[in-house]
Amino acid sequence: MIEVEHLRKTYGELTAVDDISFTAQPGEIFGLLGPNGAGKTTSIGCISGLLAPTAGHIRIMGHDVVREGTAARRVLGVVPQEVSLYEDLSATENLNYWGGTQGMRNPLLRKRVEEVLALTGLADRAREQVKQFSGGMRRRLNFACGIIHLPKVLLLDEPTVGVDPQSRVRLLDLVRAQAQTGACVLYTTHYMEEAETLCDRLAIVDHGKIIAAGTLTELRALLAERDLLRLSGIFKPDAAKTAIASLDHVEVLQADENLLLLSLPDASRRLPAIFSALAAAGAEVRGTNLTQPSLESLFIKLTGKELRE
Amino acid sequence: MHFLAVSLRKDWARTVRDPAQFAISLGIPLVLGILMSVVFGRAPAAPHGLLLVADEDHSIASTRFLDGFHRDPLDKMIAVENVTRAVGRARIERGDASAFLLLPKGLQLAFLTNAPCRLELYTNPAESILPQMIRETMLITIDAASYFRRGGTPLIEVENVAVRPSRPARSFASIFLPSMLFMSLLFLATSSAVDIWKERMQGTLRRTAVSPVSMLSYLSARVIFIILTYAMVSLVGLEAAQRLAGMPVPNLPAAALWMTFVGTVFYLLFLWITMLATTQRAASVLTNLVIFPLAMIGGCFFPFEWMPNWMVSVGRLTPNGWALLVFKAILDNAAHAGQVARSAAALAAFAALAFVFILRRARGFAV
Repeated sequence: MIEVEHLRKTYGELTAVDDISFTAQPGEIFGLLGPNGAGKTTSIGCISGLLAPTAGHIRIMGHDVVREGTAARRVLGVVPQEVSLYEDLSATENLNYWGGTQGMRNPLLRKRVEEVLALTGLADRAREQVKQFSGGMRRRLNFACGIIHLPKVLLLDEPTVGVDPQSRVRLLDLVRAQAQTGACVLYTTHYMEEAETLCDRLAIVDHGKIIAAGTLTELRALLAERDLLRLSGIFKPDAAKTAIASLDHVEVLQADENLLLLSLPDASRRLPAIFSALAAAGAEVRGTNLTQPSLESLFIKLTGKELRE
Repeated sequence: MHFLAVSLRKDWARTVRDPAQFAISLGIPLVLGILMSVVFGRAPAAPHGLLLVADEDHSIASTRFLDGFHRDPLDKMIAVENVTRAVGRARIERGDASAFLLLPKGLQLAFLTNAPCRLELYTNPAESILPQMIRETMLITIDAASYFRRGGTPLIEVENVAVRPSRPARSFASIFLPSMLFMSLLFLATSSAVDIWKERMQGTLRRTAVSPVSMLSYLSARVIFIILTYAMVSLVGLEAAQRLAGMPVPNLPAAALWMTFVGTVFYLLFLWITMLATTQRAASVLTNLVIFPLAMIGGCFFPFEWMPNWMVSVGRLTPNGWALLVFKAILDNAAHAGQVARSAAALAAFAALAFVFILRRARGFAV
């Protein structure tokens, strides 16, 4: 179980994490979703004990991360964003070492090394040095080193960044398998699809703050079944806003000279009316993109920007 | 203890996988030293002669007696160093000079009044040509002085005493190889220290910081690995120097122990310096900026025996120069327990200070 209460982390004037609180339960995959620089990695750094929080409390399975750091780290598995392996050692040697740092001994360690190598599909490359591995294989081994000791709490910091689709599917399956064994998983990502398909609960993070949290269903409900309509072309922002305001239940999320973002229910049926209103306002629509309620549309609704920005 | 075993196994595997780094650090200075020893042979080296002078008369005449040694060509072959009687005797008995000349009080008066006077010249029997040249020069000077004084047969005599030095003459290998061994240690310590940056860049240090292993355990295990590695390197290096180049090593365990200890101190010093840098490149530049002047002036590049006196005085104050002097004393079987203990305590204090800094910095450095 992870309990985070009013966590705050500042670097001088810069506030990287600003008063975030959440709880993740055993067997649950809790996602932190946000763009790069939102404060996800800093949060993971504080939760893992790598960074000292400026304020707030973090407990891992009841152990305070600051005051009982060693006890907290004993039940913790961390899969860092960057691959963190000894490149000149083999997969087996890496696993033996990282298992050893967790106090694991033979024959349990040997058995567990074989298990995770099989799980990650690296059994046939076990004796090769990591520097000969592909990016996907390194990612899988990076993950294997984080779960070698069967942690009760697993922190995964964007583990699929730069991974080929095949390795990504395998990694996501491994994460689910960890939760099914009862581990509490905290998963950070900026991939909407991953968060939607993987996480039981989510917190959307931006500028160091949690701006929305809940299950996927709860978060979608915040959109009130509204679609997201993205129109590209040439607009006069003020005139376009005025024209759209004349239509019922249409909300303007963003309006500039080349892009108009609208939130509205049942958008596909109302497109002709929107085009007419915009044409009357002197706009030239060149492209249309309709997105049905999703995390992405929620993120845009909450922040006024796209997640990939 | 369990983590220590795990960590030693890991470090050993990494060292074995990258033998080039190890071989380069150790090999270049040692091969250089052995090759030069082979070229110059195992015979006693022929550095400049050194004449120690205790002038107890402090007169114009006593100064004039030494004029010959300050003129070409003798001034290029024989250096003159003023010492006291006690120091001169002690040093000539240690074989530190070609000869020791004692100019007694009353020399000028004896010369002016043509009274008998005896100069004592203690010569190093390990050297043949230079002490003989010094003696002949003194006799010629006295004859010339008597001739100019028109005093007939000089009553000033030179009594030649051949001392029995407490150690045999130094061979080229015994002068050059200890310096090369210490240079190997410096290079090895640098490359071992810079490895912390490799650990940082590949993220393994960060991963260690989020494991239950404390930074104290991690660093202690690393230092123990360094001690074991340097002990092995020292034994191999000393054996090689002894067998391949004829460097005398009368007390191999003591010499290896001292090399291991000093190597570990160097490692901690360079680890400290390395962790002060903000980038890996800066760390590399910083260590090079430190290592080369230290090696040059501390007797690890050119032996102290070949350096000017002022530079030797400065070099003896550097940590490596200081440690090298003790090492040479151990190789000469002339090390005193007090001298070794004092040097060891000072170096250990220095290492402890570096270790405390490294420990305090380690977690922040990992991020």
